[in-house]
Amino acid sequence: MSGGVLLLATLCTSLFTALLIFLLPERAFRARTGLNLGAALVKLTLVAWMVWGLSRGHAYALEFPVLEGLAFVLRADALGIMFAGLSSLLWLFTTIYAIGYLEDSPNRKRFFGFFSLCVASTLGISLAGNLFTFLIFYELLTLSTYPLVVHRGTAKALAAGGVYLRFTLTAGLVLMIGMIALHVLAGDIRFGEREILAGLDLDRRPLLVGLFWVLIAGFGVKAALVPLHGWLPRAMVAPAPVSALLHAVAVVKAGAFGIVRLVYDVYGIELSAELGLLAGLVAVASVTILYGSLRALAQQELKPRLAYSTVSQVAYIVLGIGLFGPLGTIAAFSHLLHQGLMKVTLFFCAGNYAEELGIHRIDDLDGAGRRMPLTSLAFTVGALGMIGLPPVVGFFSKWYLGTGAIQAGMPWVIAVLVASSLLNAAYFLPILGRLWFLPGPDHGVGEWPEERRLGRLETHAWLLVPAVATALFSLVAGLLAGMPFSPLEWATRVVNTEYLP
Amino acid sequence: MSDALLVLVLPAMLIWPLLLMLRVPLMAALADRGQPRFPLDGLWCTAPLPALVLALSVDEGALALDWWLFGGFWLLDGMRGTLLVVTALLWLLAGVYARGYLAGEQARAVAGDEAAEARLMRFALLWPLTLCGNLLLLVAEDIASFYMGFSVMTFAAYGLVVHSQTRDARMGGLTYLVMAVLGEGLILAGLLWGAGSAGTTTLGGLREGMLEAPNGVWIGVLLWLGFGVKAGVVGLHIWLPLAHPVAPTPASAVLSGAMIKAGLIGWLTTLPLGETAAGEGFAWLGRAMLVSGLVAAIGAALYGVCQRHPKAVLAYSSVSQMGMITALVAMGLVAPTLWPALSAAVVLFAAHHGLTKGALFLGVGIGEHPPRLPAWLLWTLLALPALSLTGALASGLDAKWAFKAVLHEGDYTIVVTWLSLAAVGTSALMARTLWCQWHVERQAREEGLEPLVSAMPLAWLASLLAALTLPWWWGGELALRGLPPLAELPGLLWPLALGLAGSLGVWAVARRRPLHLARRLPPGDLWWLLVEGWQRLRVRGQGSLDRLVSARDVWVAWWVARERDVVRVLDSMTRAEEWLRRHAAVLMMGVAVGLALLMLTST
Repeated sequence: MSGGVLLLATLCTSLFTALLIFLLPERAFRARTGLNLGAALVKLTLVAWMVWGLSRGHAYALEFPVLEGLAFVLRADALGIMFAGLSSLLWLFTTIYAIGYLEDSPNRKRFFGFFSLCVASTLGISLAGNLFTFLIFYELLTLSTYPLVVHRGTAKALAAGGVYLRFTLTAGLVLMIGMIALHVLAGDIRFGEREILAGLDLDRRPLLVGLFWVLIAGFGVKAALVPLHGWLPRAMVAPAPVSALLHAVAVVKAGAFGIVRLVYDVYGIELSAELGLLAGLVAVASVTILYGSLRALAQQELKPRLAYSTVSQVAYIVLGIGLFGPLGTIAAFSHLLHQGLMKVTLFFCAGNYAEELGIHRIDDLDGAGRRMPLTSLAFTVGALGMIGLPPVVGFFSKWYLGTGAIQAGMPWVIAVLVASSLLNAAYFLPILGRLWFLPGPDHGVGEWPEERRLGRLETHAWLLVPAVATALFSLVAGLLAGMPFSPLEWATRVVNTEYLP
Repeated sequence: MSDALLVLVLPAMLIWPLLLMLRVPLMAALADRGQPRFPLDGLWCTAPLPALVLALSVDEGALALDWWLFGGFWLLDGMRGTLLVVTALLWLLAGVYARGYLAGEQARAVAGDEAAEARLMRFALLWPLTLCGNLLLLVAEDIASFYMGFSVMTFAAYGLVVHSQTRDARMGGLTYLVMAVLGEGLILAGLLWGAGSAGTTTLGGLREGMLEAPNGVWIGVLLWLGFGVKAGVVGLHIWLPLAHPVAPTPASAVLSGAMIKAGLIGWLTTLPLGETAAGEGFAWLGRAMLVSGLVAAIGAALYGVCQRHPKAVLAYSSVSQMGMITALVAMGLVAPTLWPALSAAVVLFAAHHGLTKGALFLGVGIGEHPPRLPAWLLWTLLALPALSLTGALASGLDAKWAFKAVLHEGDYTIVVTWLSLAAVGTSALMARTLWCQWHVERQAREEGLEPLVSAMPLAWLASLLAALTLPWWWGGELALRGLPPLAELPGLLWPLALGLAGSLGVWAVARRRPLHLARRLPPGDLWWLLVEGWQRLRVRGQGSLDRLVSARDVWVAWWVARERDVVRVLDSMTRAEEWLRRHAAVLMMGVAVGLALLMLTST
């Protein structure tokens, strides 16, 4: 199969699935499930194929002009395919989880239709070859996630959806203005053509700095950088699979990925360093890391605590970008994957507690480890990873961030990292203590808020398997970090082949 | 041959405990419901066996695993081998001991006590996991494996500390966890900083890189304090006397015997000990360590003799002994030329303390459940490790002579004098331990005796034997110096005599006029000051805290208000668009007229 067709096929797998799901009647449960899983598997295979091809030197690209001097470009480079791999893998698990989660609930057709549309746009974001294409899919992502956020249709959900839409659409507008200005200044910049902006006249530099911050403000909303993070904790009213999606795979990651593309592929890391943009990024990221952790500490409910933890963890990616040097870059790229694996696990588990036992508050979790051992084990793995303990993958991100900070001559970043680790420990360890060491209803103390026995296992198998699988992935990806095609190894390869400053 | 053995047994020693851990829930799931099995069976006890086999059969070797973490590099050398054999042996004996110690818990579980069953299950799961972490950190030479072993051990051991789930146990667990997390943070900072400056992933590279790094001394300080939490450096030791008494006795034994040695391993593998190229900064670090070590050695002894619980006394004795070891390690920075000879003495001292302290802790349980032995024999056996720890006989005498001779050769008599003073304190501590046990044992003896041939007494006797004869059965570098000549004995024994005489004197005084020191000096010393200080700060700072909270609320509300303003502007924009659309025709007309006027005027 030639390169372009493969790209198009990957993208269309999800687009067609969305279309077919909208055409199927609401009650066609089996057909829809089969279609969802089949498409997720096909897509994963196609992406794996492209990973394999890329590692052997094949190229995948597709483009056609839209206007004079503006083209729609799809291209699989090592960085893009890394993000595509993450989203396809986690998508499979999230689909499985969503099928189990939404069993017997209304409006499943609408949900899964937009769900597939959402994955299509994430894939488009990862395979986009220039800012224009990126922006198209970025906006599509905003629009297709809105119905998912307000899925429940309650007043609270609608309000959260309104906030979400206002934040992201405004950001999209800002982004478009920035992009058009950049286009006027330098024409159509393909990702990777770093020499265009670097070659501009020196008197254009102040304009470039201004545009950079305009674009960062646009991306920063989705990446939930403080103070643009307000929508994220409120979007917690969405069903658990949607939260997993917002936090680990699609939306927040799309923002972070946009910043990565902007710094490495449009401006180029050297130019960004010359213009003094990176120091600003490090400062913003450090503030976000600490602020997010502090706010997480104050939350009494599980999902908001995880939400603020996302605010803090995604800023690690931005911090890694800001550290000028190969190690910081590896940290940023690998954390893109690592955070996804760990956070999706945590949200799956939070959803399991809510579905099976009706638990939303942290102090209701006492003794849940005995009732739901596998879910609690998965949660433990995710939480320890967030704290940054080996062998869970979180440690590796932290390691590269720390050593990268030393190489970049910013030892104070280590203080931020350690403070963040301690804060993470302060808000995750009490949860683990409650899960495993406090007596709960299964020890004859009190009772669960709303217990349902969803399956023969500790909960519905469709809910349990994805949580355990992603926890295993985050453990194994750490233990075997030195193996080819592990997230860390792939990130290192990307950096060594393309982004060595 | 030994290489092949290493390649096979080194991974097996880590995997075997994990397999046994996985077996526990599997067996529980397979067993009939309502028929609780005893999870601590014979097979479960064999968890440390592969490690023991490895340590006894392989002297040196290395194993590189490219696919593991950042590239694993596991190493076995003289220092690691010695500590490995001691650790594995202690874990093995304590595991066997646990079988007997927790038999009562098992009886309750069989009788239908679900909480007891859950506790037992947790113990059976976390014990091998803690062991696995401990073994990994002993052989790891790459930083990632080492940190992994360290943190697995630290966090898994929390479950052992809080085993009994009483209020005191939770308190002990809390101090343990708070201090452990603090230590992990310091270690992480030190490791990241050091590895980042040196661009290395191994501990050896870190040690060398530290010498050249501009801020090497501060990396050293971070690592010293970070590992110091585990090793009980004065000020960071507060978890020891609170966690030890509440943990089950076999867990206390491995905690004090094996796990706090992890801090020592950390120092030995990361600090540039014996490097003559180390700058003046490291010499100052050494001096700070020396002083803190001596303060801990003597201060902990003074505080410890006022304790009531034998395990609390023993915990303070651990702080004191680790203080002595800290002082010896510090000599590696203060006087690098002494280190080659001194390092062997430090390892011997650590190994001797590990096994002897293990035997002493196991003895506490023996005092509570005395076996069928005549009282004089039992008390002789209980006193033997205590005497050994004071340096009066067997391995203790050997260890003391080893470092004393080296220090004398290097002309550091003043350090020897201070260490001897600490040994006086050790003697007093040991006297106090036995005195505390005496009451317990008398009570227990009236309630009946346990059979001699059962898990607890046998494990205890074996640990006793192993501890006393350590230098002779292990051999190698440790036994090089052998027992001291007779002429040196008075110089080595006077601390014991002085300590005993002092204890007798205090006892005689206290019998007439009770001192009630124990009530005034609770275990955990500084912790209570910190807690009180914290509470006072909270009371005093309540006002400013409230102000802070309200300031935060105002801040959040301000942002939310700004958000609302922006949203309002956005919404009004959409309304403006509507207005535009409604008046489109008029507007177009206006634009057309304007354009026409423009064209007319321009021509």
